[in-house]
Amino acid sequence: MNIFARLATALVTGTALLTGAGAAAQAKPYKVYLSMSYIGNDWQAEAENMVKAMAASSALKDKVHLDVQVSGPNAQRQIQQINAMVEAGAQAIVVYPISPTALDPVIRSACARHVVVIAYDAQVTEPCAYDVHIDQTQAGQVTGQWLADKLHGKGNIVVMTGVPGTSVDTARTAAAKAVFAKYPGIHIVAEGVGMWSQAVARTELSKIVATHPWSSIDGLWMQVGCLTATSMEHEAGIKDDALKPCAGEGSNGHRVEMLAAGTAVDGAHGTYRPMGLPSISYASPPYSGALALKLAVEKLDGKTIPHDIVLPLPLVTNATVQMCKTGSWEDMRGGCNVFQPAVISNPGWFAAIFSKDTPEVGLQAALHGTPEH
Amino acid sequence: MSAVAAAPTPTQRFMPELVRRRGLLTAILVFIVLLVAVNLIAAAPMGYFDVSYLSAGGATLALAAIGQTLVILTGGFDLSAGAVISLVNVILATHLGTTPGSELMWAVIGIGVGAAVGAVNGLFVAALRLQPIVVTLAVMFVTQGLTLLVTDKPGGTVPADFTAFLTGSAIPNLLPAPLVVLAVVLVVWGVLKRTRFGTALYAIGSDADAAGFTGIRVARTTFMTYILAGAAYGLAGVMVTAQTSTGDPLVGDPLLLQIFAAVVIGGTVLGGGRGGCVGSVFGAYSLMLIVNILLVLNVPAYYSTVVEGLILILAAFSGAAHGGLPIARWLAAPRLPARRGGGRGAAAAVMLTGTAAAAPPRVPWRTRHAEALRYAVPAYVCFFIVLAVTGWMYGGIGPRYLGALAVLSSFLIVLALGQGAVILTGGLDLSVPWTIGLAGILVAGFGQGSADSAIWAIPLVLMIGAATGFVNGTGVVIFGLPPIVVTLGMNGILQGIALLYSGGTPSGFAPPTIRWVMTGHLLGIVPVIWLILIFIVLASLLLTRTAFGRRVYAVGNSQRVARLAGVNVGRTIILVYMLSGVCAALVGIMLSGFSGQASLGMGDDYLLPSIAVVVVGGTLITGGRGNYLGMVGGVLLLTALQTLLAGTTTPPAIREILYGAVVLAAVVALRDRTAT
Repeated sequence: MNIFARLATALVTGTALLTGAGAAAQAKPYKVYLSMSYIGNDWQAEAENMVKAMAASSALKDKVHLDVQVSGPNAQRQIQQINAMVEAGAQAIVVYPISPTALDPVIRSACARHVVVIAYDAQVTEPCAYDVHIDQTQAGQVTGQWLADKLHGKGNIVVMTGVPGTSVDTARTAAAKAVFAKYPGIHIVAEGVGMWSQAVARTELSKIVATHPWSSIDGLWMQVGCLTATSMEHEAGIKDDALKPCAGEGSNGHRVEMLAAGTAVDGAHGTYRPMGLPSISYASPPYSGALALKLAVEKLDGKTIPHDIVLPLPLVTNATVQMCKTGSWEDMRGGCNVFQPAVISNPGWFAAIFSKDTPEVGLQAALHGTPEH
Repeated sequence: MSAVAAAPTPTQRFMPELVRRRGLLTAILVFIVLLVAVNLIAAAPMGYFDVSYLSAGGATLALAAIGQTLVILTGGFDLSAGAVISLVNVILATHLGTTPGSELMWAVIGIGVGAAVGAVNGLFVAALRLQPIVVTLAVMFVTQGLTLLVTDKPGGTVPADFTAFLTGSAIPNLLPAPLVVLAVVLVVWGVLKRTRFGTALYAIGSDADAAGFTGIRVARTTFMTYILAGAAYGLAGVMVTAQTSTGDPLVGDPLLLQIFAAVVIGGTVLGGGRGGCVGSVFGAYSLMLIVNILLVLNVPAYYSTVVEGLILILAAFSGAAHGGLPIARWLAAPRLPARRGGGRGAAAAVMLTGTAAAAPPRVPWRTRHAEALRYAVPAYVCFFIVLAVTGWMYGGIGPRYLGALAVLSSFLIVLALGQGAVILTGGLDLSVPWTIGLAGILVAGFGQGSADSAIWAIPLVLMIGAATGFVNGTGVVIFGLPPIVVTLGMNGILQGIALLYSGGTPSGFAPPTIRWVMTGHLLGIVPVIWLILIFIVLASLLLTRTAFGRRVYAVGNSQRVARLAGVNVGRTIILVYMLSGVCAALVGIMLSGFSGQASLGMGDDYLLPSIAVVVVGGTLITGGRGNYLGMVGGVLLLTALQTLLAGTTTPPAIREILYGAVVLAAVVALRDRTAT
């Protein structure tokens, strides 16, 4: 009919022939799929690396055949993908759910066909699925309380939320605000919509300090953005010892800033250096996907796993922040929780990668997808 | 008409029909090709369950695409579609009862809510003659705010029989219910198309003025169209509620760009008059099949956006190549007789030597100037009102505030030139987000290891931006692809490249020079403010005082007239996309300097604002009219408004509503009172 349609057909079928040959799967290993959401940020990249490292670890590499799919921020598409995975014979599906509720029907149909569905980081409400996550309310509560204590119950604070309309953001923000409400001396003077992005936090905070000078702000509660706030305070001429307390985020840069001023680190520069920033650091840990995969395999092996796995909140304070030597799992088990700037060139990289339950994955897993053993 | 003379042979009757329906036929062909491809590469061919699942999954998109098609057929554009779907979804999920009566009632209410939002759109577009894109953009913000007011997090339950009725099987193992819903809607469309309303719809899209002269009630038909479109989005919202059996305030947002892609792949022409709803349904399902193909092929994550972008362009390619390649038309064009009297020479001379205030020829200079002012001034008036409110709320505005406002505005001021120029020629550049993202990541990445790489990194990244624009422009001009599809596909490809280059986590820092420009001090203010002032002057001169600028306006007013006047239309359009690419890349560089480093997705928040500021600044989205200083006014207004709101503890829902309301107020003030 027309040459381009024909060209399209030829291309599509050509590619099909090429890849079809390679896709012939062996029968023995469990067929496991990873359904990811948006991959355009550090957290997702680390989580994917750690899942891949887990699948490649000596314990799992002969047991698991892992395929990774990305759906973007579109719940409709994730529904379709999960269904296609079930159709393709998935035995387990590890999923970063875009919506806690919209996937329920497709998860239910997967469960009905005896597929193990396990969600990481965010929860799904469908009870037949397994969830690996932190307690978001606790995260908001603990960090809000820390800031309130740090300010001795009075002062003007700025709040930076995540993505409005998501369960995680609503739970964290509501919990923190509930804490602040108990202190009549604490006033939230401005609230920015930070979208869990340093870049957005930067523009939002710029708008806020346009009308509220730094001198009128006593503390910051941010889901993501402490790193940015420190840079902006430095640009405004605020010295290290006068930095505002900032509760939030688990980026490596932020934790390096929390180290006592003068701590020797490799590759420090700009504001990516120890400065004794008063802070409490927490994060949704990116190892949750790897743990989810491990648990899914245990379930396929016939073991019983709990449906709701609440991870310990990875909290780091100025007292507990400690530089890692190698970043191996053993090293981190010794209590270290931040990495050299020379190794982690991107300060926005998430440092909360240690779990006592995942000795298979360490720094190399998060960085390159290489397992510990 | 004599029956004897006009009696055509069967072939003669058949061929024009075929040509006329070429868009639809190619849409069906694309769908079949994809369907065959899925079945060829999948381990097992699709069974009833797959078909049923696919039909349920695609129904929301298909219904929304039907609504969008109606609007596009009248020459409009509806950005509120995704937001309406979310609103209806959360209303249903929070209110649905368990009795069939309650379910039916709320389904009808859902469609009614959609129609009501459509009526608001229609009122502003039809009765007040405002530009659809900016009206629907403002309504989109308000609707998103309302959605968050209904519920600020996902939740709510939907009775199982509601889900089963709409997404189950109408006839077990034979006919999925969603296909029945779609069939009913398409039958309604088929009937509607043959009524006077249907004729009017196409007539308005082809030429609203001509339609008006023939006695068609343009305003009423347009109003009705938006209501029908809203009802279709409402039904899509009902469908997504059934499919997901719960509510999520963000469910509809990511659907918006897919809806446009579905319509365009379906053979409906942006600008109106040609196409139909059946094609859009096939377009929607083609997009769904692409996901399945990606899954079966097991495309690595970082490549998936690239492959998806390519398939999208490829699909549009076969859809767009009507009547041979456009390149042939470009070549043939000069030989067309100049059908409009007056001869090409005279008309061209008037047009090209006038100042570029986009006024018709022979109007005195002062009048033209006054018109440009009239479109540009409302944005500034609103801006000063916002400034006054800010000053009143925070006890005056000082240099710190103005400095911050100028720096925050600088990104959109640069973007507005590129996007504005593209819009002036009647196009749209959706590749802005990842051009920004990739440019920022590259400029930070290149900087690794060297003390100051700005000298070579900036020109290199700007050239990459230009190259991106060149590809966009080539796709639009040489291959005749719809700008929305080319630039949307390009956006996906750039995203993939950014992911591959950065390995998912961008490293490196912006060169110190760029950081100093964005955050340092020069003569008391941030250096970028000096640069942006120079930029505004140069950009303004570029669009008004150069041959290129005049060609941009000429092309926007009428491609045909411009061509007859000797303007190389193709080259102008390609240059405009290159300009947009360069501007977006520049913003990426600026953002990386502003933040100190680059992050993936940092351009995502600049797409809709880049369009909004251009239109709020008085530019006509269909091209030809607009003024750069007006766009700058639009930037200042929206940035000042956001700054005002960010300094408060207003909840996000209320912010969105206020934001939408102000945009709407600005365009009401811009209203073209002398519109014909």
